[in-house]
Amino acid sequence: MLEWIARGLSKGRVTTRYPARAEQGPPGYRGSVEVVESAGADSIGSSAGAELPGALATVCPTGAISVDGGDVRLDRARCILCGDCVRAAPDWFEFSERYETAARSRAGLIVRGMHGDEEVEPERRALGEQVRALKRSIHVRHIDCGSDGAEEWEIQALWNPFYDIQRLGFFLTAAPRHADVLLVTGGVTGPMRAPLERTWDVMPEPKALVAVGTDACSGGLAAAGGLVAGGVGEVLDVDVYVPGSPPAPIAIMHGLLLAVGLLREERRA
Amino acid sequence: MSVAEEPLGLPDYLPSHLGVRREPGPAGELRLLVAPLAFLRTSRMLRDAGARFVTLLLADTPEPSLLGVFALRGDLVVLRAPMQDGSISFGSLGASWPAARWAERELVERHGVRAIGMPPARALTAPDPDALDPQVHGLDIFSLPYGPVRSGIFEAIQFLIETGGEDIPRLETRLFFKHRGLEARVAGLRPQQAVHVVERIAGIASVAYACAFSQAVERALGIEVPRRAECWRAVHSELERIASHLDVIAKEAETTALSVGQARFQILKEQTMRLRARLAGNRFGRGVVTPGGVRCDGGIGVGGLLAELDALERDLRRDRRMFLGTSSMVDRLFGGGRLGRALVEEYGAVGPLARGSGVSTDARHERPYGDYRRLGLRVVTMRDGDAMARVNVRFGELSESLRILRQSLDQLATHDGKLRVKMAGRSSGAAFGWSEAPQGELVIWVEIRDELIHRMHVASPSLRNWALFDHAFPKDVLTDFAFIEHSFGLTPAGADR
Repeated sequence: MLEWIARGLSKGRVTTRYPARAEQGPPGYRGSVEVVESAGADSIGSSAGAELPGALATVCPTGAISVDGGDVRLDRARCILCGDCVRAAPDWFEFSERYETAARSRAGLIVRGMHGDEEVEPERRALGEQVRALKRSIHVRHIDCGSDGAEEWEIQALWNPFYDIQRLGFFLTAAPRHADVLLVTGGVTGPMRAPLERTWDVMPEPKALVAVGTDACSGGLAAAGGLVAGGVGEVLDVDVYVPGSPPAPIAIMHGLLLAVGLLREERRA
Repeated sequence: MSVAEEPLGLPDYLPSHLGVRREPGPAGELRLLVAPLAFLRTSRMLRDAGARFVTLLLADTPEPSLLGVFALRGDLVVLRAPMQDGSISFGSLGASWPAARWAERELVERHGVRAIGMPPARALTAPDPDALDPQVHGLDIFSLPYGPVRSGIFEAIQFLIETGGEDIPRLETRLFFKHRGLEARVAGLRPQQAVHVVERIAGIASVAYACAFSQAVERALGIEVPRRAECWRAVHSELERIASHLDVIAKEAETTALSVGQARFQILKEQTMRLRARLAGNRFGRGVVTPGGVRCDGGIGVGGLLAELDALERDLRRDRRMFLGTSSMVDRLFGGGRLGRALVEEYGAVGPLARGSGVSTDARHERPYGDYRRLGLRVVTMRDGDAMARVNVRFGELSESLRILRQSLDQLATHDGKLRVKMAGRSSGAAFGWSEAPQGELVIWVEIRDELIHRMHVASPSLRNWALFDHAFPKDVLTDFAFIEHSFGLTPAGADR
C-alpha cells in the first residue's frame, strides 16, 4: 500500500485549473466548426462565390448547414464534427480548438457567419463563482438513451485525476431521487423513452437536464433512421445543450457549470 | 487474388462431400453456393471441420440470399443459399449451435425468415425493461432487474439477475435497448459519407469499425490502399486498443477501491486519449480512416510519437508490476467468472475474452489485413479463463501493441507518398471486411451499387461475446458481478447497433 501512496504522490499535480483558467484543445483538435466571418461579405460581391452557398447545405451529412440568401448558418446541435464542410468549403468553415460550445438554448447553438457569434452565455469566471455559491454540492446522475458509448467515456473522465470535477463539488449519485442534474446521452431510442421519463419524474426540484453529445442534442446521424427521436428535447425540456460527437470532458464540464447557474437562479426564485 | 477458371476447386481441409459449388470472390473469402434445404447440413459439416460461427445475414448480391459466415483456417467461409420470392426457410442452426442463437433470432425477428426448429424464447430485439418472468423458483429467490438505467456512468443494458442474495442461479442479459438502426442508415450514402455513421456504431472502437468498413469497400471495388495509409491505420488502431485495455484495468481497480491504482491507470488512459487527440484531432481517432486510405497525416511526427510511447511504457511497466503485486486486487480477480475453453468455443467467442480461455483467435493473425500482413504479431493467450486471465491478456496486449506501434512507426518513417487513392475501381461489388477491435474480431459485409452503399451488415464482437455472460457465474456471488462485467470489456452500443 505504501508503495501505491508513494507512486501517487510522485506524479505531482496533473489536474486542470479550469474554470479558473481557460483551456482549449491541442493544435489541430476538432473542437467545433466555426463559420468564417469574412467569407460571406467577400463572396457575396463576386459572382463565383455567390453560387457557392446553395451547394454548401448539401455537403453536411446531418443537415446542420442552412443557407438563406448569403446568410450561412451552422446548427451545432446537429454538427458531428466530421469536417466534410471544412474540406469542401475551407473559405466558409474552419475548425476551432475551443471546448466551450455548450448553450442554454437550442437557438444558442446556431452559429451565423454574417452576424457574428452572439455571446449570451455567462463568462467562465462567473461560472466558478456560481459553484461556490451552491456550497460545492451538486449531485449528478447519468442515463444512456442510445449513445455510441464514447460520451460515457468522456463523462467518466470528469472524475479522473486530470479533470477531477469533485474539486468543484460535483458528485455522482446512484439514485435519481438524490440528483440535482441529469446527464442524458443518446438521441432517445424507443425502449429508453419510458425509463428516461421515469428517471426525470422522481428527481426533486430544482433540477436541471443536460443533453450531452450531438446525438442527445438533435438525434445526430441516427435520427434519420426513424428508430431514434430527434434528441432528448423531443421527450423532455432540455436546460443545457452540450454538442459534440463526443464532447470533450472540458466541454461537458462547461455544460455542467451552466446547469449549476440555472439551479442557482431557480433556488433564489 | 488469383481467380481460377471454372470449376473452382475447394481447399482440401473441407470435407469432400460438402455438396457445394464454389463461386468467385475476393482473397480470403471462400464463397460457397448451397441449396436452402442443405444449409443446416453443410453448416454442421463445417462445424465438425473446426469452423467458428461468425454471423448470419441476408444479402442482395448477386441475388437475394441467406449468408452464413464461418471462420476456418485463415479463410472466411461464406455459405450462400438463394432465397425464393423474397423468403427462405432453413433448418435452425441455433437449435444445436449456441453461437448461432442470437444472430439467427435477430434475423428471424427482424426480417421474417423462417428457421425451422428454432427453440422458442423471449423476443431478443424488443426488450421490455419491466418484464421479469422469473424462471428459478425456491425459497428466498428473487428477481433483480439491473438496468437499463444503471448506477454510475454506464451504457444502457439490462441484466435480469435471479438470486437468493449470494449466488446467482440464473442471469439473463438483455440487449437492444440502444438499437439505432445504423446498418440501414448507411443505405444510399457514398462510402466516404457512410464511414461517419460506421464510426459511431461503437464509439469506443471507432477506428476498428472504420477500418473494417473501409476494407470491405476497398475489397468490393478492387482498390489498393497506399502503404502509408495502412501504417497510419495500424497506428490509430493500436492506440485505440491501448486506451480500451487501460479503461478495463482502471475499472477493475475502481471496483476493488484501489484508489491510487485506479488513478494511475486513469492517468495512463487519459494520456493515451490526449495523444490520440494530438495525432488525429479527435480523442477517439474519428475522421481519419476513410475508404481509399486515410484523410491526414498524424499531427505529431514519428520522433515525437516514439518519445510519448517510451514514456507511456515506462509508467505502464511500473504500474503493472504494482497492480499484479497487490493481493487485495489480484485475489478478487483470481478464479472469478471462469469460462471453460469448450464453452467459449461453443459460443464462438472472440477477442480478449476467448484468448483468456486459451482460444488463440485474433483477426490480425488469422486473416492479416493492411499493415498487419507485415508486422510480426504475437497472440497473447492465457489458459485459466477467469477474470484474472482476461486482465492478464490485456496487460500482455498492451506491451504487444506498443511493440507493433514501434514497428509501424519505423515503416512510416521510410514510406513517403500518398495517403489515399481515388475510388476509381469498379462501381459495384460486395465483400466482407474485418479488423480486430479491442473487444474482438469485427466483420462487416458491404454491398455497393453504382458507387452508393446498398446494404451493410455488422457482426460485432460485443454481441457475439455477450451471450457468454449468462454463463459466467458458475461459482460466483453477487458482489463479483462488477469484476466479471468489467473483465468482459464489451460495449452495448456495438452489440445493439
